[in-house]
Amino acid sequence: MHILSMKGKTKKKSIQDIEDAPFLYIPLAEYLGCAPTPVVNVGDKVKKYQLIGEVKDKFATKVHAPVSGVILETKDYPFADGSSVKTIVIQNDYKDEEVNDISYKDYNQCSPEELIERIKDAGIVGQGGAQFPTAIKYSVGEHKIHTFIVNGAECEPYLTSDYSLMAERTEELFKGIDIIKKILNADNVIIGIEHQNRELLKVFAPYLQQEEHKGYKAILLPDQYPQGGELQLIKSATGIELPRSKRPAEAGIIVSNIGTIYSVYQAVVNHKPVISRIITISGERSINYGNYEVKIGTPIRHITKSLGIETSGNTIIQGGPMMGKAIQDLSIPVTKGASGILFLKKKEVKRSNCISCGYCVDVCPMRLMPMKFEENYRKKKYFNLEKYSISSCIECAACEYICPSNVPLIESIKEGKIKLKELANAIR
Amino acid sequence: MQSDKTIFAPFVRKSDSTSRVMADVILALLPCIAMSYLAFGFVPVMVILVAVGSALLTEFLFSIIFSKNTESLSDGSAIISGILLAFTIAPFTPLYVVAFGGSMAVLFGKLLWGGLGRNIFNPALIGREFMTVFFPAVMASRTIWYDKTAVNINELNIFNDSFINQLFYKASGAIGEYSIFFLVLGGLFLLIRQRISWHIPFALLAAFTVLLLTVSNLTEYTIQFSLGGLLLGTIFMATDMPTSASTNYGKLYYGAMIGLTAILCIINDVKYEYMSYSILLLNAFVVPINWVFRPNVWGQKLDLLTRLWQGLSLTACILMATFAVIYLHHTGLIMYLVFIYIAYCIIRFIAKGVKAE
Repeated sequence: MHILSMKGKTKKKSIQDIEDAPFLYIPLAEYLGCAPTPVVNVGDKVKKYQLIGEVKDKFATKVHAPVSGVILETKDYPFADGSSVKTIVIQNDYKDEEVNDISYKDYNQCSPEELIERIKDAGIVGQGGAQFPTAIKYSVGEHKIHTFIVNGAECEPYLTSDYSLMAERTEELFKGIDIIKKILNADNVIIGIEHQNRELLKVFAPYLQQEEHKGYKAILLPDQYPQGGELQLIKSATGIELPRSKRPAEAGIIVSNIGTIYSVYQAVVNHKPVISRIITISGERSINYGNYEVKIGTPIRHITKSLGIETSGNTIIQGGPMMGKAIQDLSIPVTKGASGILFLKKKEVKRSNCISCGYCVDVCPMRLMPMKFEENYRKKKYFNLEKYSISSCIECAACEYICPSNVPLIESIKEGKIKLKELANAIR
Repeated sequence: MQSDKTIFAPFVRKSDSTSRVMADVILALLPCIAMSYLAFGFVPVMVILVAVGSALLTEFLFSIIFSKNTESLSDGSAIISGILLAFTIAPFTPLYVVAFGGSMAVLFGKLLWGGLGRNIFNPALIGREFMTVFFPAVMASRTIWYDKTAVNINELNIFNDSFINQLFYKASGAIGEYSIFFLVLGGLFLLIRQRISWHIPFALLAAFTVLLLTVSNLTEYTIQFSLGGLLLGTIFMATDMPTSASTNYGKLYYGAMIGLTAILCIINDVKYEYMSYSILLLNAFVVPINWVFRPNVWGQKLDLLTRLWQGLSLTACILMATFAVIYLHHTGLIMYLVFIYIAYCIIRFIAKGVKAE
């Protein structure tokens, strides 16, 4: 499906900094039931890059202090998904004292295992939104990886944070790719970018010609939504159609997002853990549009104040407009997976009945029948949801984007998945 | 569920709406309305107006009584039901019968099912069936079809070829059938606007033509049908969104089966109702058609054998139903089918209301 782009306003803006917030809120968020364990106490002084949340369970990721300062408290604090999460509050002392650990060895001499360890120590998660721990993803075990795919398809409207990294920090990015290729022992590297960003091919050309980048190629992808979806990208790049139930590594493929690769570079080459990320500020109600490097834990209120963005009467979205989340509370902090903050005019959505036009069936990238999810959810026939393969749905929202009746498809799908899980648990 | 649930993505949408879909369909029908004026002046135009008016009035009254919300009137679907109903009937049909038909079309075709999109059968064709069952004498009379004194313009000689002239304009048949040219043009417009897809019309016409040629070549039987009626049904009724198949393969099958059913009806001496019977019949099978012809989920293996088996059973069921309908038609029992339908709609509506309370 072709979808609006809205990237023009921020595409040409170079990455800028936003001044650090006086208080930072570092959520110890769970992933697959595993949360980081705090290793600092209230009143402790911490330095920038210092580890503050340690990993005990498999899927948890380490968290670090983004600034130097004092641990003010640990409390339950609002989180982007609307829940509240145990959060470490740091008072910034604006001294920027850094941890200077110099006991590491040159990364060129590191084994793949040691490199993965560094990635783990840096607390890197997939920055495309899913936030899967990258160290686990790269621990492919006995699977032979033939292709490493760089996901430069930023298919959500408005977002240009990955674009800005590709355009401005190309050298770092290629170093990051080299490191990951070495870890995975991959034969090929495919960098996928969208046709609307084809000018990047010129930026990449000098790097692709280098001797050490043999086996690398950049490909242009059609401007289709959701081209950046992992499975859709794999199909476009390699022709392989993987079911959602299968991990790409099992088919010899690993896909990583641009932001993630940049973090790998920072972690391995500069020994810097993830304490910031690039986010796009955009949307029709925004001012000072652009791509900003923001510290993890910065409350959104701080960003709107620094940039002078009016917030009342707007819908504020963390992430893209297709798959992102509306923010109800401005104290919510920026997380590692947030690729943008968008300010859109609040609109009343007028819902009407499904007229079975079939547009949603036509645009569904997973070849499902989205209308059936709404119908069965409405009729409370939850088991029928799986009959129509709801578990294959990637929630890309293409169906609801195209729907002329504004049928609550995504709501039905998300809530339906929860209901189905509850029922399955009840039976067990 | 008409609230502002902005906590759920997406936050951008294509600017489109149900009313725009309906507006496109109305636009596609307008030229044919103009052609009906050419044929018999204001007589058919009045039929169209009365059908639309009674459809709107019924929806208005129903909404006031049962939902206290008349918003649905603005979606335009009642207007389409009214026009399409008028298009299938004779120009000199008494207006009180037309009013009855328009009213029944939206009431039993749409409203009792829960409004636009929840209905199973094409409302216009339901209205037509009601008219035939409740006013059999009027509907079977020959005088409602033609009146020499009322003819406005007999023929248009725009082209050199008389056959092409007749395709462009011919003052005979039901109200919507006077111009094949504008019917097709309306269809092309809807195709370009993506309000219909090519699948249903293509499969329907292909199946119909192939079977027509086969039957006329292999047997002595001469098939008589109205091209205008066939195209009106194909372009505007078989493609009606809520009541037709939604997946591409499903649409092809659905269209082809309407073509097959129509031919079966014709060779079994169903003279006028073959299009409405075959469309209504296939309407009833849309849910299983969508299931059997659902797209193959990304990355999963297609279980062709199961699908094939399901498709064959489905076809068998449709054929049995076709012959049942033909039997009922010849024994004059269709009216009981309509009575059962009425009872079912009412009971279902009451049961839903009780459940909701």
